[in-house]
Amino acid sequence: MPGKTCPHCGTEVPADNRFCGSCGGKVDAGPAAPAGGPPVAKTMFFGANQVPGRAKLTVIKGEGTDGVTYQLNGTDHVAGRTEGAILFPDDPLLSPRHANFIYKNAKLHVVDEGSVNGVFMRIKAPTLLISGALFLIGEQLLEVEPSPPDLGPQPDAEGTFFYASPKRPSKMKLIQRLRGGEIGMIYRSRAEMISIGREGNDVNFLDDPFISGRHAQITMNADGQVTLTDLGSKNGTFVRITDEAPLNHGDYVFLGQQLLRVEVT
Amino acid sequence: MTTCKSCGKENQDHYKFCLGCGGELARPASVGATPSPVATGPSAMEIARTVLPPAPVTATGELQAEANRLAPKPKGGIPWGDSPKMPPVMANFQLPPNPLAGGTGAGMRIPTSPTGTPALEPVAQPPAAAPLGGTACPTCGKPIQPGFAFCGSCGTRLAKAPSGAAAPLGVQKTMYGAGLAPAPAPVAAPRGRLVLIRPDGTEGGTHPLHDGETLIGRGQGALFEADAYLSPRHAEFTAASNGLTVRDLRSLNGVFLKIGTDEALESGDIFRLGQELLRFEVISAPQPLEDGTEIMGTPNPGFWGRLSVIVGRDVDGSAFPLFGDAIVLGRERGDILFPEDGYVSGTHARISLVEGQVILSDLGSSNGTFLRLRHERTIPNGSFILMGQQLFRVEFR
Repeated sequence: MPGKTCPHCGTEVPADNRFCGSCGGKVDAGPAAPAGGPPVAKTMFFGANQVPGRAKLTVIKGEGTDGVTYQLNGTDHVAGRTEGAILFPDDPLLSPRHANFIYKNAKLHVVDEGSVNGVFMRIKAPTLLISGALFLIGEQLLEVEPSPPDLGPQPDAEGTFFYASPKRPSKMKLIQRLRGGEIGMIYRSRAEMISIGREGNDVNFLDDPFISGRHAQITMNADGQVTLTDLGSKNGTFVRITDEAPLNHGDYVFLGQQLLRVEVT
Repeated sequence: MTTCKSCGKENQDHYKFCLGCGGELARPASVGATPSPVATGPSAMEIARTVLPPAPVTATGELQAEANRLAPKPKGGIPWGDSPKMPPVMANFQLPPNPLAGGTGAGMRIPTSPTGTPALEPVAQPPAAAPLGGTACPTCGKPIQPGFAFCGSCGTRLAKAPSGAAAPLGVQKTMYGAGLAPAPAPVAAPRGRLVLIRPDGTEGGTHPLHDGETLIGRGQGALFEADAYLSPRHAEFTAASNGLTVRDLRSLNGVFLKIGTDEALESGDIFRLGQELLRFEVISAPQPLEDGTEIMGTPNPGFWGRLSVIVGRDVDGSAFPLFGDAIVLGRERGDILFPEDGYVSGTHARISLVEGQVILSDLGSSNGTFLRLRHERTIPNGSFILMGQQLFRVEFR
């Protein structure tokens, strides 16, 4: 039976098939497939590579050294531990399918594909933290929780009051999340501001080599909204995105342990 | 918080004297002598806290003077009259209205003892305690103003003696007991008793522990009537010839035992240090999820446990990681400090990791370290037990 070649993957498929049995790509159903099938596929692939204005991701390996670069020339570019084109099989902090880089109206976006650990973006300006938003400072994974209003003592159904430690009003709590999900420390702030760094701040992480002396600060306004500001730190401050976020040239994205730089050409 | 005008230190609202300089703290303007017949929640809380400061003081050591200052002192015949926060003593038994249990208010009255035995054991009192023509409180022995229905010192409700308030001491006691058990049968001498330790370290009333079970709860005896931090069924003491066992009846606030020296801690254990209610938890090694993903976070620098300050029901305040061989808790010295809690000693307790076992040790603190009982426990004679807002010494033979 005379076959033809799938233009997408090059597999030989029966002449009357409309779809490639190997990759599912559409195959020209013309009765007489020309022998020039493979060259067509090659041409198309080559052409795709030349689309201007597309972006690439560069893996940052360490100080000043770049790793692999991924060209983002298609429409979907899935990143994960076991699934997709951008693979980091050795990173246990990545979900099997972790994130997707897509174009929306010709603009690159990163989409969290329901990953366990999420996608973090380096902030470039003071950023409003929505409730429960996680952020990364050096190796510290942190979270701010505004203190609930004090309702005063409330008896239980039997009329018994709960004994608790003395009330010391606080505005918010800074919570440290350890690897594995356990809470490490909770810092309870009475002020509307918490400064974070390696030394001389409200909260200091002396042993974290990736934290600057004065790294970031958290402020709460009169409405209880919490803003995170990077104080010109060396390694930056990263906030977990919700669902998806647009990406610009020079943005940094953390997926698991992978730091990626976005370059839009 | 009340800020001291002399030295600027912030003090708990119920403090009368500054912890920093000892100066008298300014009180809010008096709200008038007429209390609302239905006390609001917070004010009742104030009452409970003021009458019975939550942290027991065992009459020894550095906090004795502080405790003495904090202890309510009768003045001018009307106890606590110098404190504008305190409504007249009658209001001590006004608990906040409880919409969920309409009839609970009645339950706050002195109930009949379920065992039919007098709820109060006669306490040996120096005869001088009763002034001529007056009566003495059957619970604490303090003299009672004629016409008063409650003891001004400890707040015990007094039985109405038919002969009036001038009934002699012995009659008063008898009437009180008879009111609880109209036909008191001769009962065996109790095997033991709970002795209330008042905030100034003196002994208050006692509660008998007979053979078998004794239920302790709000409404189960005069000592427990006014304590809004006791559950109606709080604890059960079982006395037998081979010892005394105390069991927490899943009470809201638990039963706390003053620890001797070392006590093994389990994850989830709760203990009291001064006024601080703390929970210990083990920090376990990270486990990957089913799909092989590990939850990201700060690399654990060697934390093996965490100590959380409980600030409300299901609400935690600060949390301190535990690492290294030992962490010392104190007011002034140590790794975890509670500088604002005057009931915490300078160096109070230690949590250490010894061969995989976590040990809580009291470091000779003035007020002790109290561990919440997990289930039940057989306790030695002379143990100190914290239930609700009150401290008791357990005596039995």
